[in-house]
Amino acid sequence: MSSDHAQESGLPQELTEEQRDCYQEIANIAMGQAAALLSRLLGVFIKLPIPRVNLFELADLNMALQSLDHDEAASAVCQGFAGDGITGEALIIFNDSNFEDIAQLMNYSGEQSEAMHVELLMDVANILIGAFLKGLANQMDLTFSHGHPMVLGQHKLVRDLLQPSRQPWQQTLAIEITYSLEDHPVNCDLLLLFTEDSIRIMNQKVAYLLDD
Amino acid sequence: MPTSVLICDDSSLARKQMARALPRQWEVDISYATNGEEALAAIKAGQADVLFLDLTMPVMDGYEVLEHIRREDLPTVVIVVSGDVQPEAVARARSLGALEFIKKPIDPDKTLAALTQYGLL
Repeated sequence: MSSDHAQESGLPQELTEEQRDCYQEIANIAMGQAAALLSRLLGVFIKLPIPRVNLFELADLNMALQSLDHDEAASAVCQGFAGDGITGEALIIFNDSNFEDIAQLMNYSGEQSEAMHVELLMDVANILIGAFLKGLANQMDLTFSHGHPMVLGQHKLVRDLLQPSRQPWQQTLAIEITYSLEDHPVNCDLLLLFTEDSIRIMNQKVAYLLDD
Repeated sequence: MPTSVLICDDSSLARKQMARALPRQWEVDISYATNGEEALAAIKAGQADVLFLDLTMPVMDGYEVLEHIRREDLPTVVIVVSGDVQPEAVARARSLGALEFIKKPIDPDKTLAALTQYGLL
């Protein structure tokens, strides 16, 4: 059903190699700008990956995303954004085993508590999501306004945190980035999901960049 | 004689943007590499009087390329062009022998300024 739907609306089933490359490079630059801020906050060098870009049916979310493919308990924050016909959700996914290291690096003192974990999550989410979206918007000549960040869930398996059935759209463009801290066992996933209706407009923006 | 320029980046968009950012008046022969291994082979083949080098790449990243160039004393001048703008990334690239570090997205004016500053034009 869902792939029929995508065909009816004239959406591409796949990205061309050129489009994927372009999204990857845009994400690469935005990711670096976000990493520079986080590394200053934590005083640690951040190892940057090659961003993963995928177009898939939202129903396949659990299979399509590497960030969701681990069995550790995690916590997540999500933040919606919209502008110039583009709508999406940004998520920060944090393994629960990260909290102690991050708390230390951010000079949080005192007992580890739920309240502290939420504060840490929100701090990291604000920095990474804010800087990434700004970098992305600048490069694609877009303006986004942001919703309030919300805790999506805590101490659960990531695949249970994300509930694709709640989303009204079918196809999604996803950008996945795993930030790792050098010399610390800390990983944090930044995940961006763009709605079906956004994909065509984004592909147009990307076409300008390729033609320039 | 034209200067041989090697542009090493895993992204074809980035390679294209880099080539377009080179000064028009500069007489160059441009070659391309998509990862560090290809870059090293091209340097050894004499295709890189000047190397524009990305840091984050598959197979072999920019830091490893810089290490090889230093260890094997390869004849090339390296300008790093990267989206990794952490101060530590800049410091590491420079300490490994990069002459200059230019932030992505690449800016033709900064490229011109760097080339002029180091007498490469």
